[in-house]
Amino acid sequence: MKELDPLLHSQLRLAVMSILMNVDEADFVYLKEKTDSTAGNLSVQIDKLSTAGYISVAKEFVGKKPRTVCSVTDHGRKAFEEYVNTLREYLNI
Amino acid sequence: MDEKKLTPQESMELITSMIQNTKRRVATPDLRISVMWAVLTIVTAIAAWALLSTTHNPLYNFIWFAIPVIGIPTNILMAQNDRNKSMTKSYLDKVSESIWKSVGYIAMGLTIGCFIAQQCGYPQAWLAMFYYAFIIVGFGAMTSGFLLRENSYVFGGLFSIFSGFAIIVCNICQIPLYYSWVVPLYILCFLLMFIVPAFIISRKIKAQEK
Repeated sequence: MKELDPLLHSQLRLAVMSILMNVDEADFVYLKEKTDSTAGNLSVQIDKLSTAGYISVAKEFVGKKPRTVCSVTDHGRKAFEEYVNTLREYLNI
Repeated sequence: MDEKKLTPQESMELITSMIQNTKRRVATPDLRISVMWAVLTIVTAIAAWALLSTTHNPLYNFIWFAIPVIGIPTNILMAQNDRNKSMTKSYLDKVSESIWKSVGYIAMGLTIGCFIAQQCGYPQAWLAMFYYAFIIVGFGAMTSGFLLRENSYVFGGLFSIFSGFAIIVCNICQIPLYYSWVVPLYILCFLLMFIVPAFIISRKIKAQEK
């Protein structure tokens, strides 16, 4: 049986990817709220996903406040779909 | 949530719960800005209608400028407040935003055009703003209705578009356009395009939350 993508097979990274698969873009604060994670940990996991090319990260300023907006890339979308297909094989569904 | 490894079963549950969690947000459009424009338009129309029919002073037509003068800064403020909140944007949000931006740009262009026409001695050109409000805004509402799968929006938009064409036909056939029926029709269109759908959607959201 195919191995599960280790980059996605982690609680926080998978949660982030699941959210981003459902929306066009989400900001850091939204991801932090929905995943109930700490800013430091989330930031590290976002970097890992971004380095792998699974998500793109844009930093912008809203007034004087910085804002980080994440969105899933085509490569990330394919990886996520493959991950879900492999999961289905594991679970026989 | 941390970097813990998951079993396949846990992974599937996590994906499902995150998607469900975000889906609720995606299916809940933010109606505050469209309702603000609708209320402002209706209140201005009622004021213009009341003042013009009681005083017959055409200078009260300037009251229509309250719509952009109050609406544009309020819209900017409301949008800025939204940006300070955590947020997501779905494809639908982006398409809907583009539609309403286009409707806004057309309004600005048309206002400038009508102003130039007035300076050239054709004040009746302002009638084009009525056609815009009925047809272009109606088209925006109808398209939003299709995107959100909300039939009340589609109905309101279609009603407004047909009302706009009826007014054009009246104009072509030289049937006089009196304030006494055009402005109430205009108010009715905005009620059907924005207020009624917003009411229906908010009731649906409340029912879903229960």
